[in-house]
Amino acid sequence: MHIPDGYLSPSTCVSLAAAAAPFWYVALKRVKSALHARLIPLISLFAAFSFVIMMFNLPLPGGTTGHAVGMGVASIVLGPWASILAISIALTIQAVFFGDGGITAIGANCFNMAIVGSLVGYATYRMVAWRAGLGSARRVVAAGLAGYTAINVAALCAAIEFGIQPLLFRDASGAPLYAPYPLRIAIPAMMLGHLTLAGLAELVISSGMVAYLQRTDPGLLRLTAPDAPASDDRSLTPAARKTVAARQVPTARRLWLALAALLILTPLGILAVGSAWGEWSARDFSDPQVRREIAEASHNQAPPPAAPRGLERLSTVWTAPLSRYAPSFIRGASFGYLVSAMVGVGLIIALALLLNWVLARLPAGAGRRRRKSFVEKTARGLLEATGQVLFAEDMAATGGLLQRLDPRVKLIGIGALIAAAVAVHRLWVLAGILVLGVALALASHIPMRLLAARVWLAVLAFTGAIAVPAIFLTPGAAVWRLPLLDWPVTQQGLRSAGFLILRAETAATLSMLLILTTLWTRLLRAMRYFRAPVVVVAILGMTYRYMFLFLATARDMFESRESRMVGVLEPADRRRLAAASAGVLLGKTLQVSGEVHMAMQARGFRGEIRLLDELQMRPNDWLRLAAFVGAATFAVWLGR
Amino acid sequence: MTELAFDVRDVSYRYNQVAALGGLSMQVKRGERVALLGANGSGKSTLLRLLAGLCFPDRGEISFLGESLTEQRLQDEEFFFGFRRRVGLVFQNADVQLFNPSVFDELAFGPLQLRWPAQKIRERVGEVLRSMDIAHLQDRAPHRLSGGEKKRVALASVLVLDPEVLLLDEPSGALDPSSQARIVDFLVSCGNGSKTVIIATHDLDTLEDIADRCYVFANGRVAGEGTPLEVLHNVELLERAKLIRPHAHVHAHGEGAVQPHPHVHRHEGS
Repeated sequence: MHIPDGYLSPSTCVSLAAAAAPFWYVALKRVKSALHARLIPLISLFAAFSFVIMMFNLPLPGGTTGHAVGMGVASIVLGPWASILAISIALTIQAVFFGDGGITAIGANCFNMAIVGSLVGYATYRMVAWRAGLGSARRVVAAGLAGYTAINVAALCAAIEFGIQPLLFRDASGAPLYAPYPLRIAIPAMMLGHLTLAGLAELVISSGMVAYLQRTDPGLLRLTAPDAPASDDRSLTPAARKTVAARQVPTARRLWLALAALLILTPLGILAVGSAWGEWSARDFSDPQVRREIAEASHNQAPPPAAPRGLERLSTVWTAPLSRYAPSFIRGASFGYLVSAMVGVGLIIALALLLNWVLARLPAGAGRRRRKSFVEKTARGLLEATGQVLFAEDMAATGGLLQRLDPRVKLIGIGALIAAAVAVHRLWVLAGILVLGVALALASHIPMRLLAARVWLAVLAFTGAIAVPAIFLTPGAAVWRLPLLDWPVTQQGLRSAGFLILRAETAATLSMLLILTTLWTRLLRAMRYFRAPVVVVAILGMTYRYMFLFLATARDMFESRESRMVGVLEPADRRRLAAASAGVLLGKTLQVSGEVHMAMQARGFRGEIRLLDELQMRPNDWLRLAAFVGAATFAVWLGR
Repeated sequence: MTELAFDVRDVSYRYNQVAALGGLSMQVKRGERVALLGANGSGKSTLLRLLAGLCFPDRGEISFLGESLTEQRLQDEEFFFGFRRRVGLVFQNADVQLFNPSVFDELAFGPLQLRWPAQKIRERVGEVLRSMDIAHLQDRAPHRLSGGEKKRVALASVLVLDPEVLLLDEPSGALDPSSQARIVDFLVSCGNGSKTVIIATHDLDTLEDIADRCYVFANGRVAGEGTPLEVLHNVELLERAKLIRPHAHVHAHGEGAVQPHPHVHRHEGS
């Protein structure tokens, strides 16, 4: 879901950032007005909260775990506009400090998750909850659906962005320059994961958190529930709270029912976009129109006249049992799509359950590591995240080449190089930029082992898995055929996979340089020089600061839980525990944000933040900046 | 006649439907150091927030230097900045108070909001950094500070405005002895009448050094008042305010003569 660098073309990134801009503008306007002064700490802390929530391993059915984004909760507690800001900030920090999601793709990721996600989540919640009381079970269901819908619509946006890349951006040989899969592959591939795992994670978090707020501080749900009857607001008596708590069990069951309905209904909504799923490859090869397009795109080299036999076999798996006896409407594209989507989703769940069953039956200790509990995993993840940032800060305090640069020069300079890596159309220029990045890393005393483990291998594992099928699926001149399956390896496919992997590696290496050599506090102060809005700088700073507090709080929570845990928790208990931990963290977030607002007021804050404008750039800094931008421009020119 | 810094008359305040203060009255003179004693949840922190103009009483009135402190009055920009300049509050939780990315920014925040010129801010921040012995921390981020350092920075972030009135919420709570001693030293140095200091605490050990007068709180009301020595000797009052607990334990008097008796533990002097 977090789109890395290199998957989207520069023009897509720019368009999506431009599409996001008006939303950010309106959101900032709303937050700036003095009436909403308390929103500044609230947004910062919520962003930090959302960041920490993204690190939670949420237990899902079938023994797997997933991560949530938190846009459902954010839009319910903060309202859609403040939620847009909070999630955007959290995504920016993830990209800048953890290399999770590309720097050039920040606009796209914010558009999908922060903007589309918040608005869809908010709309769903308002529509489903309607005028139900603040403490009603209906709100819990509404929140779950809001989270589920929000993340799925966001994933659909990302899938469409991926899917249009090969249509629009190809090199001279017809090889896709960015994400290689067309809509009819990108959409089902993305949606499958989100309709199941990621969607569930979001659902668990959103509904669990609203249930938590109903019990602890229902007044917080008032902001997005203006129509709810006033009677049960705030003044829930202890007895009433108990009844709310008692309703938790049926609520969970209703949630599962609602989810089942969603699994069936959601594919309908996607129908408008792609053609039927499961028919992509074979039909393509026999359609004369598409064949002509392929031929044109591949320098008039005719594609193989028939579908590769392996692919044809694969595609008939879905339709085979139905086609002979089914009435005609069942053979229609829509119905076929619906059925295959349902079968696909069911298959994934069944596969997960089967895997879980098999793993559970394997003899323990038979050369297999003990499976870590989600509590342990989360606690370790939180510790690692803190460790990573602290390590980066230590690294940035040493005296290497990049460390000595003015933070502004570094931000823009490395940003320009990343943009160049995303923009060039020649593999050797891309490789040249990577070499430059490695040289800079060496000059800045960054251990190569760290780059290899945290960047090169990690990116290769992720992007490699995505790129490999493109070798076969990209139409073009076959250079080799797989024995047995007879799938053609196309020259265009190889180039396309090469582009994707090399771009992702180069951009991730450069981002890591930025992360490991920049002191964030100095960068924030320096950002004011570029007239970055004060509110944004202040919120970014506060988010980063409280991220550490919440990471520590969450870690303490999970570690103390771990120390008291005996035996293995039931799956339902695990989910309840995860949601409750998130709830406690949310409670802490809101409490701290209220107090921070008071602390700001006590020192003269009246809704408009003032910051010290920092130092001018010196001539030397301009020179270095020119060197970076010059190198980036030269690379773009070479690789055009 | 000495001027009153704060005059609190019959103030009630409810927090989440629960009465935090119920009909509380007290006076603090200018230049006086007053300790607010009370158990957890006795309303000390709430009172400090009311005195700092961060929340406002449901009933009753608070005046600062003879001027009534209301939400409306603080809407006025001139009064707001004047009041913020003169009254500083150090929060109990330093993590709440340190919301800026670095120690330097933290100290500069107050002066910036009060629209001091940039040059004056840099000079004043440097001065306070040195006097509080935290100059070496100035580029440090708050998550890289120890508990004692956080408290010192929080105090410095308020002192940078050189307020006449200092409100401190548990300034030495949960600190190691050396960090605690630094804070106490500072409070002792305020004893010359230069600053009005109001400290919420339940630490009886240092009371005589840091306060001229004490108010004892119980259940959102003033349960007693007096000099530190008077209050410390009023065992009944301290017990009622849950500041000390009579506990039975045994002392061996001679051989076999074991006598349990209720017994108050207190440390006086050194």
